[in-house]
Amino acid sequence: MEKEKTAAFKKVIKSRLNRNMRYYLDLCTRCGLCYDTCHVYQGIPKKEYSPVNRAEVVRKIFKKYFRPSGFFLPGWGDASAIDDHVLDELHEAAFSCTGCRRCMMYCPFGIDIPYILSIAKGILLENGTAPEELVMLADGAVEKGKSIDMFREGFTEVIRDLEKEVQARIGRDTPDGLIPLEKKDADILYVGLSGAHSIVHPAVIFNTAGDSWTLSYFEGVNFGAFAGDPEKTRLIAQRVIDEALRLNVKEVVMVECGTAYRIMKFLMGDLPFRVTSIVELIHRHISGGRIRIREGAVTAPLTYHDPCQLGRNGGVYDEPREILRLLCTDFREMSPTREYNWCCGGGGGLIALDNEEFRIKSGKPKRDQIVAAGAEIVVSACENCIMQLGTIVTGYSLDVEVWSLTELVAENLA
Amino acid sequence: MWDNIFYFIMVPMVYLSFAVFLAGILFKGVIILSSEKYSPSMAVYPVKGRGPAGAIGESFLVPSAFRKSRLFWFFIIAFHAAFLLLIIGHLELIRDFSIIQVIPHDVFLGSGFVGIVLIVSTVYFLFRRFHTPFREISVAEDYVLLLLLFTTMIFGSHMNLAATWGIAGFDIPVEDYRTYLWSMVLFSPELPKGITYSPHYVILALHIFFANIFLMLFPFSKMIHSVFIFFAQNIKRK
Repeated sequence: MEKEKTAAFKKVIKSRLNRNMRYYLDLCTRCGLCYDTCHVYQGIPKKEYSPVNRAEVVRKIFKKYFRPSGFFLPGWGDASAIDDHVLDELHEAAFSCTGCRRCMMYCPFGIDIPYILSIAKGILLENGTAPEELVMLADGAVEKGKSIDMFREGFTEVIRDLEKEVQARIGRDTPDGLIPLEKKDADILYVGLSGAHSIVHPAVIFNTAGDSWTLSYFEGVNFGAFAGDPEKTRLIAQRVIDEALRLNVKEVVMVECGTAYRIMKFLMGDLPFRVTSIVELIHRHISGGRIRIREGAVTAPLTYHDPCQLGRNGGVYDEPREILRLLCTDFREMSPTREYNWCCGGGGGLIALDNEEFRIKSGKPKRDQIVAAGAEIVVSACENCIMQLGTIVTGYSLDVEVWSLTELVAENLA
Repeated sequence: MWDNIFYFIMVPMVYLSFAVFLAGILFKGVIILSSEKYSPSMAVYPVKGRGPAGAIGESFLVPSAFRKSRLFWFFIIAFHAAFLLLIIGHLELIRDFSIIQVIPHDVFLGSGFVGIVLIVSTVYFLFRRFHTPFREISVAEDYVLLLLLFTTMIFGSHMNLAATWGIAGFDIPVEDYRTYLWSMVLFSPELPKGITYSPHYVILALHIFFANIFLMLFPFSKMIHSVFIFFAQNIKRK
């Protein structure tokens, strides 16, 4: 490896050595309690997919460049310089991890292994070998933030079409204003995704509830985070923050996207508005009588898949369950559930990569959970999860329907 | 010649080891404190046991291990509890502490069983690493530290058992340990004849030699988990 390249890699590692990272890099005793806690390892039982090994790939280069033992006695901790083989190992470790943090639940020290893997992603970005799809999507999102005026007209036209769909669903006289844009002082700024369904179903709910709301020009999904670029992550989230401040809204409601919710709620510092997941808003509206749903409308056995970023990493567990228990007559928990729930395998941007065979295999524990629950309907509240659950259902030929929670509610409004 | 080697191990090397240990811990502390603080929440939900008290509780009770492997958890608890008793036992070899004698007991603590628990736990940890998949994730550091602990404990336990049960027919009396260790604390080292003339002198020197090495490696190895665990456990609660 050329000296300049190694120096650039060392700079990347150094830039990520904050206090938490230093604890995580020094702490591990390689006890192996996390070894089989990753869904990828369950589906493809290779050492490379064990959480401890993923972290060790990063640790060994950290030791090489930042620990005297790594320099003088590399055999002590398997310290290793970055070469082509190590770069491949870093890629396999980082871009097979969904960032679900299930391994943390079994670590006696609470080490955040996906956080350690942000070093791997940083090195791969520096090397130009991070997945092109994620980098391009992140760049596109950042660019949209810079030149929103170019997108505004086309976006508005699409929204006017979607308003007609909403009108047809809720039976209003006119489609005008059913999906408000640029509404100053609205209570809610709703942040959707690029798919029409992520706008139409929420719009049906907001209008039924009589919300004062406005739609964001931007998508909630943050490809900067998936690619492992902290600066792009910030820029992508900042677009929405700036919009919310400009429109002076009280609350930003995030689409069914776990990562978007977690970044906005927990990683962007103190914000002068409330950040809510649409699942929480729906729950609030049902509890407050703002919307009514057809109780017991779904009679087939139904289960809920906790999106990792919404549940384990966001704390939203009870709201979706309470909504679903009202909606269906046969709610079944998967086992294990809640914070121990298996990741479906679609997070961390993996769903955007050309890796379907890998995702079917890594979705094996989720497939087993669904089958064991005897569910005919699986509901979730994250776009990535829903797409990946669809891949699992197709890949394993399961006779199961996959629904988004928002869509299920919108379809069953009383 | 051996007298000089033993003296080196028993006196200058002990000071050196403590100096390296303390400087190492201080160095680690400075590195941590000079690193940028990461303020966003990295919590895992539900937060079980909030704040530092929760972090300390989880650090000592290790519920994650209990959930995953009861046998491993048993040995983790047994090892660490025995290690704590062993530290108390060594403190009492320096001098009498009335606060530790709240529950009256003989010095050294545990009638030899503490050492045996430690040795058995260490052997378990070592043998566990001989098995797949733990063998694949183990590095030299893991084995060396366990072997250092094992050898230190074997020699320490031998002396403790000899003193407690008289199984070797002789032992080094507690008073002589106290003379030696207290003189070390006062920086006027003295090796009483009860130690230097004892057939156990070589055993004691080996015990202290391996302990010295372990102590020097402590801040620069994964042993630092005994300090960092509390901080890391706190991160996922914030």
